[in-house]
Amino acid sequence: MIEIKNVTKKYGNKTALDNVSFTVNDGDIFAFIGHNGAGKTTLIKAIVGIHDFDDGDILIDGKSIKTDPVLCKKMMAFVPDNPETYEHMKAIDYINFICDMYDVDNDTREKNIKKYATLFEMQDKLNDTIDSYSHGMKQKIVLISALAHDPKILIMDEPFVGLDPKAVFDIKKILNEMVKEKKIVFYSTHILDVAEKLCSRVAIIKNGKLVKSGSMKEIKGDKSLEKVFMELEEK
Amino acid sequence: MKKLHSLIKACMTSDMNLFKIKAKKGKKSSIAVVLFITLCLMFTIWSNANILFEKLSPMHLQSVVLSFFVFLTSVLLIVEGIYKAGPLIFNCKDDQLLLSLPIKRRTVLFVRIFKFYIFELLFNSLFIIPLIIAYIRWAEVLDWTFFLTSFIMIFTLPIIPIIISCVIGAIIFGFSSHFKHKSIIQIVVSIVFLVVALYLSFTVQNIFNYIAENAETINNSITKIYYPAGIYASLAIKFNILDLLVFILINISLFSISIFVLSKFYFKINSRLKNVTTSKKTNIEDLKIKSNSITKALIKKELNTFLRTPVLIINSGFALVLFIIISIITVIKFDSLIPIISDQNGLNLSKDLIMNNLSIVILILISITSYMTSITNSLISLEGRSIVILKSLPIKVKTILMSKIYTCLLITTPVLVIGDIILFIKFKTNIFESILLIILSVLIPLVSHFIGLLINLKHPKLDAENSTEVVKQSTSSFISVMLGMILLVLSIGIVIKLATLMNSILVLVISVVIYILIDSILYWILTNKGVKEFNQLSI
Repeated sequence: MIEIKNVTKKYGNKTALDNVSFTVNDGDIFAFIGHNGAGKTTLIKAIVGIHDFDDGDILIDGKSIKTDPVLCKKMMAFVPDNPETYEHMKAIDYINFICDMYDVDNDTREKNIKKYATLFEMQDKLNDTIDSYSHGMKQKIVLISALAHDPKILIMDEPFVGLDPKAVFDIKKILNEMVKEKKIVFYSTHILDVAEKLCSRVAIIKNGKLVKSGSMKEIKGDKSLEKVFMELEEK
Repeated sequence: MKKLHSLIKACMTSDMNLFKIKAKKGKKSSIAVVLFITLCLMFTIWSNANILFEKLSPMHLQSVVLSFFVFLTSVLLIVEGIYKAGPLIFNCKDDQLLLSLPIKRRTVLFVRIFKFYIFELLFNSLFIIPLIIAYIRWAEVLDWTFFLTSFIMIFTLPIIPIIISCVIGAIIFGFSSHFKHKSIIQIVVSIVFLVVALYLSFTVQNIFNYIAENAETINNSITKIYYPAGIYASLAIKFNILDLLVFILINISLFSISIFVLSKFYFKINSRLKNVTTSKKTNIEDLKIKSNSITKALIKKELNTFLRTPVLIINSGFALVLFIIISIITVIKFDSLIPIISDQNGLNLSKDLIMNNLSIVILILISITSYMTSITNSLISLEGRSIVILKSLPIKVKTILMSKIYTCLLITTPVLVIGDIILFIKFKTNIFESILLIILSVLIPLVSHFIGLLINLKHPKLDAENSTEVVKQSTSSFISVMLGMILLVLSIGIVIKLATLMNSILVLVISVVIYILIDSILYWILTNKGVKEFNQLSI
């Protein structure tokens, strides 16, 4: 479970996150939506321990990211919006590096690398250096390395950007499998129709403040998610 | 013209952050440090110019100093320019953006060369302004024409070195662009230039003496070889407006012709450099899937970064290569080196003192190499945007920082130990002293590695356009190199003082104790304050 409790983050005088609180339960596919600059990436980076925050706390299965960062990070995998990797490394070396950081044993990593590399059609390209890849291929490598250590919680920032339709389809399948295993998927997106179909819960953020949070049914009612979002934006 | 102005402004902004007037509080102190060190450097150049003027003014040959300094500065500009030509001209990251804009390709090239010119102009001013100030003191005739000539010279002298650097850069990058392992070719070719520069720096003392003895002949040669050097000296003695106008015209013409010629094949080289070769399709069953411990995996990653960054290898490898060369030269020609060491200004070392303290000589060599080898001052900045990977990993920050230190030790220790062994064999150093010196070969570089990393954590440059900007132009590398120099002078002074008071074994023992103490303090600072600085890093 992820518990976000009264999180506030300021950049100088600007409040990027203003007393944000909500909970993500085991087995949720949680969509986190908002306009550009609303504070989505700031909160995601706070959850995965990249950014500090000024007030409040974030608990991962009851452990605070502030006081137990290593333990919390061990449960999570993070896929950033821009696929950051070590470009000079071969893809297989990069994935191995990430697995080393998560103490993944040889059998598990071999099984998972083969499974996800084949799924994303990257199995014959893993021996190339990442700088030779397209944006979408880099994103696939980040996804393979994130999934290779069987994370309990998958946090993604705009995961579908730059991916081909087949890869998007495959990711959706993987996310549904994870949910069946009571794992958590938390991701930010602008593609509202995908979020509407895929996610069980949703939170909407506007100018650093949480304006709505709950189950997809509660939030949208009879309307489409896009309509609800546009109405909130116009307020 | 408006387009060109906007383009220049956009391209210069990121590079000129250091010189922004509206600096943040934290930045003000680093600007003060940079200014102070710049003034120290200019003072040293002014002092050296005065020494030469003093030697040559009785013979009324002050103009020789002008031509010699212009020539020397131009050589330095060319060497420095070869380093900079890579990131500023040939390996630019903004190719995609600029080439998609509705502007002429020649304009893009002009803007890049202009940016290069501004850097070389600043570098040139460091040498030429102190020279002008020194000349004012020694000139026999001085009027407004000298100041006009000097003012124009400051702006025109970098032009020819830039053209030469671009041509050499085009050869290096054009040649390497044909190969799969481009960076290795660039390292090899750059090392060839480095060795030549090394040889020149070894012979600089002889050059000074030779100039004093053969001033007129040298002047004639320099002015014949290098036109700007000759014209400056001749205009300083006898001003002629026509000569000055011809000189300006020549520079402008050369600059325009170079841009025209370079634009013919520049974009071909650039696109070839960006071609990345991919290996043959591999079978997933044949892939190397192997686990490592966290520290080993981090060290492998750091070594990979080091080996893929030619400018870092060349920059940090300089002192290490020098140490091995000096060790070998010592074995071959030690007897002829003794008078050189004992004659050094201000040291007053007798031959007996040197012969009785050979282990101290090794200690000094280890110190020089260690303080001149600062790899860590760039390792945080080189992470760039991928710092988010490290920050999201489930590992302690202390482990990340220490892996960077271990990597640097892995690079420096083997080289220092090899050099040590060569010197131990030559000097027949006893076992106890040898062990102490080997320990110091780890402890002294450790100080340099800790300090470099702490400075880089304090002054990171995560948004750099390329590795040269990090390694050669960042505040972190500048401060750590200068601090290294200060520590080097301090440590050598203390060691020499101690050597005159006690025997060499005691000096080595005291050094080991002091360095263990310093390293422990720096370790504590890194694992406490350094960790906090790392946590605050963001991009």
